[in-house]
Amino acid sequence: MRGWMALGLALLSVTVQAGFPEDPFHSPMWEYNLERYLGDDSEVVHDERVELQVPPFAEDSAQVPLTLDLTAFPEPAQRIVTWVDLNPIPHLFTYEPGADPVRLLSLNFRVQQATTVRAAVQDAEGVWHLGSAYVDAAGGGCTAPSLTSANPDWEKVFGTVRGGAFSRAEHTRYKLNVMHPMDSGMVGNTPAFYIEQVALYREGDPHPLLRLELSQSAAENPMFVFELEQEAPRSRLWMRDNNGNVFERHLGGTSS
Amino acid sequence: MKRFALSLLMPVLLLVDVGSSLAQDGLEYRLEATEITPGVWVVEGSTESFSRENGGNIVNTAFIETDVGVVVIDSGPSRRYGEAFRALIETTTGKSITHVLITHHHPDHAFGNQAFEPETLYMLPASRELLARDGDAFSDNMYRLVGDWMRGTEIVLPPNTLEPGEWQVGNRRFRLLELTGHTGSDLVVFDETSGVLFTADMLFYDRALTTPQSPGLDVWAAELEALEALPYRWVVPGHGPVVEGDVAFRQMQDYLAWLDRTLSQAATEGLSMMEVMNLPIPERFEGVAERRHELIRTTTHLYPHYEKAALALLPE
Repeated sequence: MRGWMALGLALLSVTVQAGFPEDPFHSPMWEYNLERYLGDDSEVVHDERVELQVPPFAEDSAQVPLTLDLTAFPEPAQRIVTWVDLNPIPHLFTYEPGADPVRLLSLNFRVQQATTVRAAVQDAEGVWHLGSAYVDAAGGGCTAPSLTSANPDWEKVFGTVRGGAFSRAEHTRYKLNVMHPMDSGMVGNTPAFYIEQVALYREGDPHPLLRLELSQSAAENPMFVFELEQEAPRSRLWMRDNNGNVFERHLGGTSS
Repeated sequence: MKRFALSLLMPVLLLVDVGSSLAQDGLEYRLEATEITPGVWVVEGSTESFSRENGGNIVNTAFIETDVGVVVIDSGPSRRYGEAFRALIETTTGKSITHVLITHHHPDHAFGNQAFEPETLYMLPASRELLARDGDAFSDNMYRLVGDWMRGTEIVLPPNTLEPGEWQVGNRRFRLLELTGHTGSDLVVFDETSGVLFTADMLFYDRALTTPQSPGLDVWAAELEALEALPYRWVVPGHGPVVEGDVAFRQMQDYLAWLDRTLSQAATEGLSMMEVMNLPIPERFEGVAERRHELIRTTTHLYPHYEKAALALLPE
């Protein structure tokens, strides 16, 4: 009888926990952010093959590097969501794939305080594979004015896009940089002004190679790195910010 | 009788309590001065990064006796350090301090200023502007990193400015140089009388260099070459041990060249900032303290310039 009761309690606790595993970092935002970004009935597992790299400390709270390396992940990512647990708006980016799966993604983020950072990669069965990392920080990156806003000539460089395609064995790495203040909206008298959507297309193909949706955790003048399993085609970069500005550029084949 | 015994004990207990709370505080810089050559003293700090354990004592400070008083180089990371340093100078030399030269605006070199008479404090004009601009932000960060050691520390801007060139104090002849490689305005003091070169943070030895305000590694390397041409015998780096001869210059130039080459090549190969922070550091730099920590910092400060230079402008 006692055994049955124990089993019943165990089942009950599983239901209440919604199947989320323990957070090795014990972040207070663990379950809240999982429910918010992946859904409360999602299946989540920790996975070392989701290699999320951030430095142990943030030298500049407004520019903290993040690289997500999926080289060891055995199947194409169906969707990727990244977030910074203790930021006022934690979401950093959501990635949706095209025909060629992404092997590596990189983008700098802001930190408001020392925090855990998460990358969730969804497989074909819908299971989310989670990589976590911790970054120490003096903080304040979300509520510090952008360097752009301190520069009276910012409009001259606003929207300047630099890029390159780098050949890496069977793969191609794209590196793209756009001059944009990416204002978080958390600084007095400066409304949110940031790039929300990014897409990369093979020239002449209406279906994107990849799509990104960004939020306010993304750092100023973003530098994107995407590595795809393909030879470098001629391609087209398309971005749109929350004020409706569209930036569109063409990239040749492999350069240095 | 019992009551009497207690009242006798009370003051004793109180005394013990005061004594132990001072000892428990434990925040005492144990500064020691080493005489390199007659009248030239160095107080060597550790080669670590700022921590609550070292109280920011990671820097080399110095003082030089002349027949009219003492010339001090840098004031240390906190008010408490400055006070201990000043007491050490006065007991060691028995002379009064005429000049305190602040080599640059970084907190470990300029935050002990409060302990000295304001009229003895000197700085290059451009360095002083940088201290006025960045001082409060540095201060916030120092309180966070080293905590209670900083208690009571406030920024003091030196009222006097220095000009590069020949500079005589009593029987000693100095040459003052203004360079830019480390912060944009870096004072180097060459004591021509003794042959001791005080490079401050233009030179790090057995300690990785720091770059938060550096105008660029190429600029820094070029200035080091000019500095090395001076007829010095001993070198007092800003961080790391005092050495005779050019060994510190050799290491620093090798390290600077490696850093510059590594960042350029990484940019050419399209590496991300995080990948650069994880790159291997050659074995020959194993003796260089804080090399990984500083590679992470330097990549943050300088890699974006290398990255942009390696990308093409994409026309609309």
